[in-house]
Amino acid sequence: MGTSSLKRFFLIFTVVLVALFSLEMWNPVQAHVVVPFTGMLASMSAAILAPFDPNVLAYGKVLQFKDSGFAVSIEAGCNGVEATIVLIAAVVAFPASWKQRIAAIVGGFFAIQALNLVRIISLFYLGDWNLEVFSWVHLYLWPALIMLDVLIVFILYLRYLSRERLETAHAA
Amino acid sequence: MQPDNALRQFLLFAFVLLLPCFALWTVAAQPLAMPVVGLADLLLGAWFPSVVESLSFHGGDVVLMTAFGELDGKPVLPGQSEYQLGFSINPGILSYSFPFYAALHFATQKKEYLWNFLTGVMVLYPLFLVGVLSLCLKELMLGLGPLFLDLPDSFIPNANVIALFYQLNVLIIPTIAPIALWLWQNWDTPLLRGVFGREPEAEEEAKTLLR
Repeated sequence: MGTSSLKRFFLIFTVVLVALFSLEMWNPVQAHVVVPFTGMLASMSAAILAPFDPNVLAYGKVLQFKDSGFAVSIEAGCNGVEATIVLIAAVVAFPASWKQRIAAIVGGFFAIQALNLVRIISLFYLGDWNLEVFSWVHLYLWPALIMLDVLIVFILYLRYLSRERLETAHAA
Repeated sequence: MQPDNALRQFLLFAFVLLLPCFALWTVAAQPLAMPVVGLADLLLGAWFPSVVESLSFHGGDVVLMTAFGELDGKPVLPGQSEYQLGFSINPGILSYSFPFYAALHFATQKKEYLWNFLTGVMVLYPLFLVGVLSLCLKELMLGLGPLFLDLPDSFIPNANVIALFYQLNVLIIPTIAPIALWLWQNWDTPLLRGVFGREPEAEEEAKTLLR
């Protein structure tokens, strides 16, 4: 991949990114995909916590402590959808077969959502403990960590691709 | 250094450096935002002279003060209310791109650090400004509604354009720009040569000479 390929990568990446974000903001997509998915994340977080902490309640997009009443609502921007879109744009922009791309997107989606569940649960407990720390970690640290996760997934995918290419070249 | 070791070292250093970089940024966030807030104040004042009165620091917060007032919870024209309507702006949700970039930058093994870093910061500043403008536009759109969107004497972008600009410049760019910048600046480091499956620099140069 030369510098011209890098420019091409950034161009395709930007086009796909803007297209997918426009699609994500479209009301029917919000209503039928993003909102139900966000609600599912809250239920999954509660299901993970329930065996360890019976004090946790989940309804809709909301997670709440029964005793203190502290609650978090999982909103757009907290559901990992944006990070997944970034990963999809990067994977689509990089030359590979569609089979490899789809595998990377599916694997990456699960990696992002696994970390996102850690984010939601950690923020839920942090908020109950200290609201100032919660705000700082929620607004600044976790977005960077989630995007670092996207970068790591993408780097691992690139390494896999370059190894595949090497193996194919050696076999030939 | 072997590509695998370079990658492991980068990942370890990136995670280790993330927290101190963010801690330093927390201390320096206000002075870091000052030039951008000042410039955004000038631009917004010139763009919407009949709407925006100022964008300035009030203690630790940044407030976008409008020329409109508030009556019964609704924005009203100036003169119909005793209170001025202002919106709180948090530049931190944009400027955290600086510590994120710093962590990625200093976690990568390379020959030159400081000049590259300063160049990167200079690239991030205009994006920070665009982010603040997008944030202010969104606040004006949601807070003032038709009073802002139907202004006769200024060019107001379409509501969907403002929403998309907000989504991209506030929610996405602060995390993507540092990564894109890092990729661009470290393209020839052993780490990225290894990741992208490119030959080491010396071998590539030798091949060019042979041609």
